[in-house]
Amino acid sequence: MSATWFARRLAVSLGLAWVVATIVFLALHMVPGDPAELLLSTGGISPDPAAVAELREKLGLERPLLAQYGAFLAGLMQGNLGHSLVDDYPVLSEIALRLPRTLELILAGTLIGIAVGVPSGVYAALHRGGRFDRIASGVTALLLAIPVFVVGTLLVLLMAQTLRLMPAGGFVPFTQDPVQHFKLLTLPAIAVGKGLAAILFRMTRASTLDALANDYVRTARAKGLSQPRILVVHVLRNALNPVLTVLGLQMGTLLGGTVLVEYVFNWPGLSTPLLRAVEARDYPMVVGIILTISVLFLLINLVVEILHAVVDPRVQAG
Amino acid sequence: MTTTRRAILQAGLALPFMSMPGRAQRASGVLRYGLSAFPPNLQPWVSTGASAGTVKMLTHRSLVSYDSKGELRGELAESWSRDSDGAWVFKLRQGCVFHNGEPVTAEDVKWSIEQIAGEKSTAYMRTQFQGIERVEIPDPKTIRLVTTLPQATLPSWFGNYNTFVIWRKSAPNEPIGAGPFRLVAQERGTSLDLVAFDKFYKPGFPKVKGIKFVVYADENLRFAALQSGDVDMIEYVPWQSMSAVEADPKLKLDSVEGPFMDILFNGTKPPFNDARVRRAIAHAVKRDDIVKAAFFGRGKPLEGLPIVEGTPWYDKELAHGWNYDPARAKALLAEAGFANGFQSTLLATSQFGMHKDTAEVVQQHLAAVGIQCELQLPDWSTRVSRGTRGQYDMAIHGVSSDNNDPDGLTVVLDTSLSPTHGRSFKVDAPRTIAALAKGRSEFDQAKRVEIYKEMQRAALEEVPLVGLAWRSQGYGMDKSVMGFTNLPGALTTSSGATLEETYFG
Repeated sequence: MSATWFARRLAVSLGLAWVVATIVFLALHMVPGDPAELLLSTGGISPDPAAVAELREKLGLERPLLAQYGAFLAGLMQGNLGHSLVDDYPVLSEIALRLPRTLELILAGTLIGIAVGVPSGVYAALHRGGRFDRIASGVTALLLAIPVFVVGTLLVLLMAQTLRLMPAGGFVPFTQDPVQHFKLLTLPAIAVGKGLAAILFRMTRASTLDALANDYVRTARAKGLSQPRILVVHVLRNALNPVLTVLGLQMGTLLGGTVLVEYVFNWPGLSTPLLRAVEARDYPMVVGIILTISVLFLLINLVVEILHAVVDPRVQAG
Repeated sequence: MTTTRRAILQAGLALPFMSMPGRAQRASGVLRYGLSAFPPNLQPWVSTGASAGTVKMLTHRSLVSYDSKGELRGELAESWSRDSDGAWVFKLRQGCVFHNGEPVTAEDVKWSIEQIAGEKSTAYMRTQFQGIERVEIPDPKTIRLVTTLPQATLPSWFGNYNTFVIWRKSAPNEPIGAGPFRLVAQERGTSLDLVAFDKFYKPGFPKVKGIKFVVYADENLRFAALQSGDVDMIEYVPWQSMSAVEADPKLKLDSVEGPFMDILFNGTKPPFNDARVRRAIAHAVKRDDIVKAAFFGRGKPLEGLPIVEGTPWYDKELAHGWNYDPARAKALLAEAGFANGFQSTLLATSQFGMHKDTAEVVQQHLAAVGIQCELQLPDWSTRVSRGTRGQYDMAIHGVSSDNNDPDGLTVVLDTSLSPTHGRSFKVDAPRTIAALAKGRSEFDQAKRVEIYKEMQRAALEEVPLVGLAWRSQGYGMDKSVMGFTNLPGALTTSSGATLEETYFG
């Protein structure tokens, strides 16, 4: 992997992050709704126009848009995402608190996706056309078609409200109560992981079938190697490469699904402050959180590209 | 004893129920409460909605509060009366202390009132408090309020959950109150932890050791959390879930009809500057449909001003002054020169189902008398912004008045106050406004009753708003939760104060 190739990829990622930040910044300022007015009128009562004007002044909303944008970029260069307009809380502190929870959810969802999708995919491929293969293929189609928030709501209805096996939602820090922490993590992680499980199942099944059809497998069988050895050494090593690629790409999209799942299960990751901030037109908070999610997305993609380049040097040429 | 397969299965099924969440919490004496929104802030004098009010009422105290019947009762003040010069005099209770141990003094009360009324104040009650000419302290336990105009309802100002007495040396962002609970921890957007204040002035209160507020913005999840035992009680039970709460043997529902839905008008835009058109609209809507469609039958049609039935101000005939009468609506439109109807827009929000559903029903009924409305359903922030700026023709709104006295309706009826999304925009209603002012300065109860009937008659003609439906406001709780009261009528949003009397039975 050459340094120029890496530098070019990094520059593209940074450029994209800047584009995202700019679009979000401008879009937010273009939609109607005034943070100062919202802050002062939540009780259904009239805010005093003078008080609104004063608050706008204090929040820096009276400055021209270009000046606000300049200040925002300057802050960004110094790693400062600004403060919430609602309560002056640093955006960075909010993200530092919430991001690990979102990542934990993504990680748990990914583990569930891998644990369910990969073995069942291999099994289905080995028993192609069998009952399990047919049922599993049908179920994955269904899992891919149902939106995460529907799955989430159904899980709450079944596991929490009807069977009362699990809490409906919420969060307890691991340090405070590990058992409850994992109980609360389970349902949202299933909701996050279900789509990934379905995709991994399909991918694993297809690439295992591909590998099984290769001459080297036939040769291995002819040599009299045991079935497990053929599977692990010859089939899976080749079949799992494309699966890993898909996994990397899918983890990025999991970020989007996680926001919805967090809302459904009251998991206090990045989605709650994001939704609250959009409602309150809390510009710095919205831009900060969306920027974080975008950067994560770009980062995952960058890592996948690098891994690709390492595995297959031909990628660098392209 | 032989172990059968069935016994094992039953034991397995029983396991999760043995570890039901909640039991441990009840033993620890902490009430877990599902809030509908995280308070944008907890500033004692700035209104940030009823959920914030619930928390603030527990950490702060004012001179008075409401008892379970909705009557004013003393808190930091043990009594109040008017003296011969017409000033309101409050006598402070002995033994009240702030959370830092400092005693509550008349100086603190004076300072708090002056902060609320301050020139740069953003307090909810600022306008009212600016009607206080001066605050006098004849002795350390007495406060004398001299008002510029006679103010019959002044004591009720202190019952509002944005009017607390704060220690006068508090840091600007750390108000120190004298409520039954102290805020010990919070995570923005997620939860707040309160613990009982051991020096609270009412012996034996609060009855629980603490309250954990958990925010469930999604109404269905809030209900699910109650049903699955994650929390002991919730506010704002969604209307579609109310019967499920009633049907659940472990739960109970306490609901009252308090807040209401209405139509607001932009008085600067023809034809809504014509009272006949507004009145035609008032007669055109069949309210039953709103109660059924938007509130699952959990409400009541409102065909007049939102005056609570059973109060002295209620008049059966006036209460139905805008009865459903499409023929009359058409006649009024014809009289105003719109025999063939007209095109218009109706602003609401898609963010709250009750606003959207109400708007859809109103749209249908207006179409039936010839008024074709295009629905505009932006998000709530845009709705607020457009309402305050008068960027609409008609708008749907949901609100509750300040209290059950008709003076509490000033906030929605007095269109001469500065524009807000919760009030019609510059609609001309001089007689209504004059009657409100007259009622405010009258102390004789019999005369006040007459004045407010006159006010209702004026409003029925001038139509500063159109009442649509009372809506049920419900608290759902575990059957073991005792002592909580959903206060009557408009005071329902102040019910959080009774959490100091709540305990596990």
